[in-house]
Amino acid sequence: MMREKVAIIGYAQSYHQANMPMTREDMVFEVAKEAAKMAGIEREDIDTVINATNDYYEGRTISELFLVMPIGAYLKDYTKVEMDGANAVFYGMLKILSGTHDIALIVANTQGSTFNPHQISVYTLDPTFDRQIGVLNDISAAAIQARVYMNKYGISEEEAAIVSVKNLGNAAKNPHAHRRMPGISLEEVLSSKLYCDPIRELTMSPISDGAAAVVLASEKKARELSDCPVWIKGVGSCQDSYIRDRKLYKLEGLEAAAKKAYQMAGIKNPFAELDAAEVSERYAHEELMIYEALGFCEEGRGGTLIDSCATFNDGQLPVNPSGGALSADPITATGLIRIVEATMQIRGEAGAHQIPGAWRVLAHGQTGICAQQNIVFILGGEE
Amino acid sequence: MKILKEEVIPVKGIPVVAGFRWSVGELMDRFIKELGNKKILGAKCSKCNYTYVPPRAWCSKCSAKMDANNLVELSGRGVLVGYTTAYVELDGNGNFRDLEKPKAIGAIKLEDADSTIFMPLIDVEPEKLKEGITVKVVWQEETKGQISDIKGFKPEK
Repeated sequence: MMREKVAIIGYAQSYHQANMPMTREDMVFEVAKEAAKMAGIEREDIDTVINATNDYYEGRTISELFLVMPIGAYLKDYTKVEMDGANAVFYGMLKILSGTHDIALIVANTQGSTFNPHQISVYTLDPTFDRQIGVLNDISAAAIQARVYMNKYGISEEEAAIVSVKNLGNAAKNPHAHRRMPGISLEEVLSSKLYCDPIRELTMSPISDGAAAVVLASEKKARELSDCPVWIKGVGSCQDSYIRDRKLYKLEGLEAAAKKAYQMAGIKNPFAELDAAEVSERYAHEELMIYEALGFCEEGRGGTLIDSCATFNDGQLPVNPSGGALSADPITATGLIRIVEATMQIRGEAGAHQIPGAWRVLAHGQTGICAQQNIVFILGGEE
Repeated sequence: MKILKEEVIPVKGIPVVAGFRWSVGELMDRFIKELGNKKILGAKCSKCNYTYVPPRAWCSKCSAKMDANNLVELSGRGVLVGYTTAYVELDGNGNFRDLEKPKAIGAIKLEDADSTIFMPLIDVEPEKLKEGITVKVVWQEETKGQISDIKGFKPEK
């Protein structure tokens, strides 16, 4: 349990899309301004700014040099996190808990249309071996992971494809989602273009342009400024080994991250105690693996859980009512979007994809090939 | 530079054309050179026995330091622990390219090694791929002491 509390008092996200006419700077300006406006603060009130981007995706190094002006970070304490934006929230929370800052602005952004992020995934591999061998990229690695996982536990392609049906269908009700497919069928998913068996066009995330922002505040400031603060109840993050030296059939790092977050939030039975979850599933089968790592079901039972419809919006524990990463994946912003979506659910502001009475919601972000790094937040409304 | 959808003005940008010079370290240097002699080296931790391939100078499992004395020669045979068939590949410039002939990729645990390596599979029919089959290394006709000396792996008859 944390001695002091930190709240989210403002949020914003872009209308994620394949090829945004807006510049990267315009895009972050909009979300930063909107999140601050919701929090009822001006630039002068912000003590620290943390921005999550990746130089390779941005196509420029030290990519924040142009970004600090549109997000209002100049002449302020500023740091960049070269990982998923959910990690920037953890960092901002710690800055507030340290007592040195009261209000933090967190912004995460990527325009995937700048350069194919799947090509960039190759540059994350061991340059002196795997990159030279030349068979791995994030898609082929995910395909191998999918096969290992599905074959070990007897999970079918149909069961993984149901995740796409659920999430892309959910996205139809989310105006911010990029890939919105009302009434999408299992056949449509299973007949979409095959990249690396069993990964298809519709079982992998789309290449998206998008950004998100949140404003974090100390308990004192949050009570002053907001009549609906969303509290960080728990957080845990974990980095796993490089792909050569880790288990491929389970997300061991995510399991460790979740354990920490649950312990902090006092959660013993996540499936019963959570009202909804927003997770970063870059591939359909990954959501099933995420269920297992988050303790929503036993190891190897992810297929059974989706078959039971428990994670659909009218099920016991809706997962990705927004459509998740399969519906929009502006990498580095994706985990922060999950936090924004969880916050919207708790505030009752999710519109057509609102889960009635959502009060305790999990948000998950990941970084790297086959979800090497994971971070889990438990957010909640006023007790 | 993006202006509007479908309207792209090329500017100098990524991919960066740069010749990076990564230091590979002593053990990896030996590994690469021994490929020329058709030998695959691993590094076996003397404390916990975890065996890395390619070799590393440290054990991440038990934090022991390793050196040339930890190098072990592996047989070049292994077990297929995972696989996929690629129908599309990336051309290095960010474009997807449909493959005329799909390529099989294997996740392989070499005999006496703990790391998993990811390799092209040669002479296989995708539908016959399954975990547990034994595979062995296929060398280039002429080996020169470079990573590309390994052509791939194929199922053992």
